[in-house]
Amino acid sequence: MDISQHDANSKPNRSGGPVFELYTIPSHSSWFRWDDIHETERFALKEFFDGSSISRTPKIYKEYRDFMINKYREEPSRRLTFTQVRKSLVGDVSLLHKVFNFLDKWGLINFVATASDDTDKLEGITMKDQVRVEQGAPNGVRVGAMPNSLRPMSPPHSGGEGRMVDGENGFKLPPLASYSDVFGDLMKLKRLKCMSCGEKCDSGCYEYSKGSFIICVECFKNGNYGEDKSMDDFNLTDNNRINVTHGSTWTEAETLLLLESVMKHGDDWELVAQNVKTKSKLDCISKLIELPFGELMMGSGHGRFSPDGSTVTTNIATHGLMTSSEHQDTKVGDQVHEKMNKTEQNGDAASQEPPAKRIRITSLSDAGSSLMKQVALISTMGGPHITAVAAEAAITALCDESSCPREIFDDNEEAAQINASETKEASSLSGSQETATENNDIPLTLRIRAATATALGAAAANAKLLADQEDREIEHLVATMIETQLKKLHCKIKHFEDLELIMEKEYVEMLELKECLVAERIDVLQRALSAGVSRWRDHTFIKSQNDRIV
Amino acid sequence: MKLLATSSSKAPVKFRMPTADNLVPIRLDIETEGQRYKDAFTWNPSDPDSEVVVFAKRTVKDLKLPPQFITQIAQSIQSQLTEFRSYEGQDMYTAEKIVPIKLDLRVNHTLIKDQFLWDLNNYESDPEDFARTFCKDLAIQDPEVGPAIAFAIREQLYEIAIQSVASAREIKISKKGRRGVEHFPASKAGGNALDLMKLFRYNSSVVRKRKEWDVYEPIVDILSNEEVDALEASEERNTR
Repeated sequence: MDISQHDANSKPNRSGGPVFELYTIPSHSSWFRWDDIHETERFALKEFFDGSSISRTPKIYKEYRDFMINKYREEPSRRLTFTQVRKSLVGDVSLLHKVFNFLDKWGLINFVATASDDTDKLEGITMKDQVRVEQGAPNGVRVGAMPNSLRPMSPPHSGGEGRMVDGENGFKLPPLASYSDVFGDLMKLKRLKCMSCGEKCDSGCYEYSKGSFIICVECFKNGNYGEDKSMDDFNLTDNNRINVTHGSTWTEAETLLLLESVMKHGDDWELVAQNVKTKSKLDCISKLIELPFGELMMGSGHGRFSPDGSTVTTNIATHGLMTSSEHQDTKVGDQVHEKMNKTEQNGDAASQEPPAKRIRITSLSDAGSSLMKQVALISTMGGPHITAVAAEAAITALCDESSCPREIFDDNEEAAQINASETKEASSLSGSQETATENNDIPLTLRIRAATATALGAAAANAKLLADQEDREIEHLVATMIETQLKKLHCKIKHFEDLELIMEKEYVEMLELKECLVAERIDVLQRALSAGVSRWRDHTFIKSQNDRIV
Repeated sequence: MKLLATSSSKAPVKFRMPTADNLVPIRLDIETEGQRYKDAFTWNPSDPDSEVVVFAKRTVKDLKLPPQFITQIAQSIQSQLTEFRSYEGQDMYTAEKIVPIKLDLRVNHTLIKDQFLWDLNNYESDPEDFARTFCKDLAIQDPEVGPAIAFAIREQLYEIAIQSVASAREIKISKKGRRGVEHFPASKAGGNALDLMKLFRYNSSVVRKRKEWDVYEPIVDILSNEEVDALEASEERNTR
C-alpha cells in the first residue's frame, strides 16, 4: 500500500462542541468515519467481524479504535505508544496491537507526531515513559515521583516555576504582565513617598545624597529636612528623572505620552522624541511598532481605526469617521461603555483599567468616534437601548459616589442635548474632557467600581432581554400547541360527521331495498293468488314469509 | 452471534503453544563444581534432537564452563522437550479463554512488573513481538530484557496450556457418562480465565476505568548495583 503522506487532508471531526479542531490524516485514509466501520477495517481486522468470539465484535472494535484515536489526539504532536493505550483497554494485547498497527499504518494515529526513531526518542518520550540507567544515586535512596510509576532518576526540571518558589525570600512578582503593570506602578509611587511629611512626591523630590532619604518639594521649601540634614545635602530629582529607565522598558505614562505625541505630530519623530522626554527617537519608533496597532498609526497617522475593541488605545487612533445617528442615544454612555468593554474583553481588566481610563480622559476630539464604533459592537451584543439603560444606571451609581464624575458626565449630557451636530459634539466633548483632565485624580477603585457596575448592569440587562425573549417564545410555542390540538379535534369531529353521513345514506339505501323487497313479495303473492293457490296454504306460508321479512 | 461463538470454537484443539511460533520455553539451572549456570530461552521443538547436543557444546565453549556442563545441559533440555512432546497428542480447550499474564522479573538491572490480558485462542499472538514493542515504547536500553519478557510470557502460556490439557482430560472422563453440550470451558478450564461474558457484554465498555489504569500499566525500575546484589542474595536464599 503506498503511503503518500505528502498529500494530507485535514478533516474536522470533533463535533462535540462549537469549536472544530483539525487533525491531519493522510488522504488515503479519508474513508474513515467516526460513526461507521469501513470495508477497509472489516477486511484488515477480520477477527472482529466474523462472530467467532464474544470478545471480538464490531462494537468492541469500534471502542478500541475510537479510544486509541482520541488518546492520540489529546496530544497530536506526541507519538502515541502502544503501551500507553493497552493499559486502558480490556482485551488480548496481541489483538490490541494489531488494531494499533492498523491505525498507525493508515495514519489515523501518529501521523503528525515526530517520527520517533532511536535517535530522537530520548527527547520525544516524556519523563514518565523514559527509562534511563542511573549511575550514581545515593545508596538505599530512590528518587521517586509517584509510588507506582516509573521513577525518574534525574531531578525534575525546575522550569519556569523557580521564580515562584523563591517566594519565601521576598516578594517575587509572578511573571504576568498585568501584575507588573499594576504593582509596578504602585511600587514606584511608594518610592516617591516623602519621608518627612508622608505625602506623595509626584512632581519632584529631593533625595538625600548621603543616604536614602526622600522629601517632597514642599518639605524642602519649608525646611523640613529631617534630623541632621542641611539644605545642601539634598539633590533635586525630577519625576522625569526617576522615571528614567533603560531604553527598553516603557511605563504607562510614557506610552501615553508617546501615543499622544504621535497623534499630534504624526511621523515627525523629532518632535515625538522631544515630547516623550525620556526616550530617544529610535526607542519611540520601536515601541510604537511593538504596540498592537502601532503600525497602523504610523502608516496613516490619523485616519485608521482598528476594529479590535479590546486594545487599549483604539480610541485615540481615529479622527473623523462618525457613523450613524445612533450615536445620539448612546453617546452618553460612551465613556462608561469603554470601561465596560475593557472589563468584559480583557482578562486582566483591573490592570488595564488605569491606563485606559487615563488615556481616554485626556484624549482629543477623536475619542468620540471610536467610542461610537465600540458602542456599536456592544450594542450588537445587548441592544442599543439596553446599553443606554445600563450606562445610565452605572452613571447614577458613579454619581452617587462622588461629585467629580458627576461633573464629567453632566457636562457630557448637556453637550449632547444642546448640540446635535457632530463637530459641536466633538468640541464639547473635548471641552468637558479637558475639564476632566484636571480632575484626573479619580481614584482607581472608583473607576474600577464604575466599570464593574456598568458591566454588571449591561449583563443583567442582556439577561433580562434574553429571558423576555424566552418567555415570548414559550408563549408562542404554547399557543401553537393549543392550536394544533384544536385542529386535531376539529379533524376528528369532521371525520365522525362524515361517517354519520355515510351511515345515513346506507340506512336510506337499506330502507329502499327493504321496500323493494316487500314490493316484490307482494307481487309474487298476487301472482300466486291469481294463479289459484289454496288459501290455507297461502296463509301459513305467507305468514312465515312475512315474519321472515319483517 | 452468541450462538455462533459457542458452537464453532468450543471444539478441542491439539496441544501446542498458542502462539504464532510453536516454541517451547526451556529453563536451565545447573550447578556443578561450585559453578552455577542459569539460563532461559525458547526452543523450536521441530528441530532435530541432535541440535540439543550441538547447542550444549557451543554454550559451554562460549561461556567457558567446565565440560561436565555439556551433558547436564543437554539432558535438561532433552527432558523438557520430551515433556513438551508428551502433551502434544492431547486435546486442550482454548476457546474463549483470555487469561491475565503477569510479569514480575528482573533482568540484570531492570525490574519489570506488568499485567495484561492474553487470548489463548489467538494463534497468531507473538510474545516476541510484544516484548519488542514493550522495550521500544519504554526505551529500555538493556537488550536482554526483551527476550526475557518473551520468555516469561511463553512460560506462563505453557503452564496454562498444560492445565488446559489436564482439565480437558478430566472433562472427557466426566463426559463419558453424559450426553449433551455443556458450558464447561468457561468455568472449569483454568480458574484464572476471565469471565468473557461479563467483560464483553453488549452494554459494557471495553475501556477500563481510569483508576484501574495504574494496575495494568507496566512498571520498570532501574536498580543500582547494591540493590541487584541484595536481590540476588535473597533469591539464592529462597531457592536453597
